[in-house]
Amino acid sequence: MGRIWLAIRSFFSILFSGSLPEDALTTLGLTRRGAPKPQTASTTAGPRPSDGALQMLSILQRDARVIDFIMEDIVAYTDDQVGAAVRSLHDQARESLARYVKLEPVFDGVEGTFTKAALSDPAAVKFVGNVLAGKPSGGLLRHKGWRAGKIDLPPLNPKQDSSILAPAEIEVE
Amino acid sequence: MKYVIGIDLGTTNSALAYTEIRPDADPFDMPEVRLMDIPQLVNPGEVRDEPLLPSSLYVLGATDFPAGSVALPWDAEPPFVTGRLAQKRGVENAGRLVASAKSWLSHAGVDRTAPILPWNAPEGVPKLSPVDASSRYLDHLRRAWDAKMPDAPFTEQQVLVTVPASFDAVARELTLQAAERAGFRDVTLLEEPQAAFYAWIERHKDWRERVKLGDLILVLDIGGGTTDLTLIAVTEQQGELALERMAVGEHILLGGDNMDLALARLVAGELAEKGTRIDTLQLHALWHNCRVAKEKLLAPGARTKEQPVTILGKGTGLVGGTIKATLRREDIDRVLGEGFFPRVSSSEMPQRQRRMGLQEIGLPYAADAAVTKHMAQFLRQQASSAEHERVRRGPSGLAAPTHVLFNGGVLHARLIRDRLTEVLDSWLAAEGFGPVQPLAGEDLMHAVSRGAAYYGLARDGRGVRIRGGVPRAYYVGIESAMPAVPGMASPLKALTVAPFGMEEGTSVRIPGREFGLVVGEPAEFRFFSSSVRKNDAPGAMVEDFGDDLQELSPMEVNLTSTDGTGTVPVSFETLVTETGVLQLWCVARDGGRWKLEFNVRERVAQ
Repeated sequence: MGRIWLAIRSFFSILFSGSLPEDALTTLGLTRRGAPKPQTASTTAGPRPSDGALQMLSILQRDARVIDFIMEDIVAYTDDQVGAAVRSLHDQARESLARYVKLEPVFDGVEGTFTKAALSDPAAVKFVGNVLAGKPSGGLLRHKGWRAGKIDLPPLNPKQDSSILAPAEIEVE
Repeated sequence: MKYVIGIDLGTTNSALAYTEIRPDADPFDMPEVRLMDIPQLVNPGEVRDEPLLPSSLYVLGATDFPAGSVALPWDAEPPFVTGRLAQKRGVENAGRLVASAKSWLSHAGVDRTAPILPWNAPEGVPKLSPVDASSRYLDHLRRAWDAKMPDAPFTEQQVLVTVPASFDAVARELTLQAAERAGFRDVTLLEEPQAAFYAWIERHKDWRERVKLGDLILVLDIGGGTTDLTLIAVTEQQGELALERMAVGEHILLGGDNMDLALARLVAGELAEKGTRIDTLQLHALWHNCRVAKEKLLAPGARTKEQPVTILGKGTGLVGGTIKATLRREDIDRVLGEGFFPRVSSSEMPQRQRRMGLQEIGLPYAADAAVTKHMAQFLRQQASSAEHERVRRGPSGLAAPTHVLFNGGVLHARLIRDRLTEVLDSWLAAEGFGPVQPLAGEDLMHAVSRGAAYYGLARDGRGVRIRGGVPRAYYVGIESAMPAVPGMASPLKALTVAPFGMEEGTSVRIPGREFGLVVGEPAEFRFFSSSVRKNDAPGAMVEDFGDDLQELSPMEVNLTSTDGTGTVPVSFETLVTETGVLQLWCVARDGGRWKLEFNVRERVAQ
């Protein structure tokens, strides 16, 4: 930063806002006294970004016991045993997912047929195979994709520790 | 805007339907009846709209749910949870769950206004009376309405609450009390099978072309916990087709839950043979899974012969602890077909409960699970009444319905409907009649509330109304003036105070009998009812009635007079209110009147 430019910016900045601009402070090697510290995650103020994800996990565990299933070491069990558990888990997980998140395909077509690519956002459409330069006009639909249409999760209880995904259960005899 | 609200206060589920009252409505094009989804807690902290409100109530304890997670939009800290969450939590902790409050409401063996529920609650759990519990469900429905329809306050609407046709005068009175306690105003009671039939009329505007004069319709309502039977005759009034309710069955505590539990027990038995024992919680899970599996096997177009039922492991070891069993179609055919709906002749009566010296107090569940036998008994009982020639009868006296209307969740299953029609047809064939015509009902879970809302319009003269009156005859017991013999109860005579079919909004003075009542002392009368004796006129004295009469809670009256003491000769007057409630009054010669009240606080001698 040129010295004259720095002087002029500092002059006007002090004149109009009463303090030096951020970049001038850095260049001059100064720190502001009593500067606000970076915010630390606080447990009382509002939901954290991870809460929604934890809530979804907790719902899938509550309704379908998905965490139990995924965390269990199933190597030793026969396919028959795994199948029996999955059948009931699958029904409930599907029902519960359908209730809270409306899932819909990104491209509502028939997989394996030719589809025109109406979207070109790489997040929504992924072109695979022999992709030429420029935006391809279409191709075979390999996977319809998933999009969360409507999310309808119950409000979080601010008093509750969202890191508890499932309570421990104690049976009183 | 003004509405009629129909409430189906069910044993296991409640529902609410409503329709607009339009003053200028065309009687042949009635406004549509709509259902209201009921907001309720479905999980801690999650209030959601559901089509039904499970009639379950959970008495909250300190450790049940995290703070603030049972708040409702209209109540931040309720002392009870009602609905789906109560039902779910009650499986985990049955000691705080109130279920089947309605069956308790009609159970004369207990004091129904005393806090007795949850019946098996451990020491220290606050209890409620059956009336209180019922009023909680009604209260929930009222507040749910007010939350959803802020422009039409509930108390300003016309409300109908349905009761089983088999409810006696006491149970009806208590239902009304529950409604009043829940803040209801302007309530009318309506019988459920009638409501189901109104729902059919509502759906079939051309009903006059579907039934004809002389037809007899059997309404068979099998809900989660109870079975209710009613006969409706198609009659003529001033040249127009009219409907008249002819008979109602007894209160049968037998329903879909019993059937699913029977299936669960069968599967549990098979597991036990293989050496796997399950506990109560697991049986509950199995019960629920058997219901789901049964519905899948009985669904229209189902091809599979069996469905797996699994009980997942209790701990974090899900797969390792999973218990696997199978429910086969043939099991269902056997349990339902032979246990609950056996092919029987019309002369096979249900087994009576053996009277034990010491009976466990609890709900008087039906001793015989065979619905077809209860149906045979109901149609047979009508044989004893000579009048009512409008009831079509076979040579053996069996009432012979021309049509049958099914209602209740159980009858979604085609297998069961087909079996019932098959059995009815065999009875009709034996009496020389053709087969019965099933009337296609729709939406069997909501028909009662829908029909109730329709009836609200019918009562205003907009639509057809089923005439019926009181479905039983009522009596006051009078001890015979005979010397008492040790070991024998003194012979009892019964004075008819309300004849069968006495209509709403009428009253009758009982002739020829006066009683001397002491002023300032409560007088108590034994009170009886009968659903089979249909020809007793008011004032008729009945002797040797055997099993025809059932004793209800006693009625009492306390005469107060400015004169202080003395004896006042009084006679009875019976009144049936517009809302379908029976009242008994004592009338003195000078016109002074005192109302008799049910005394449900004391146990009825069995």
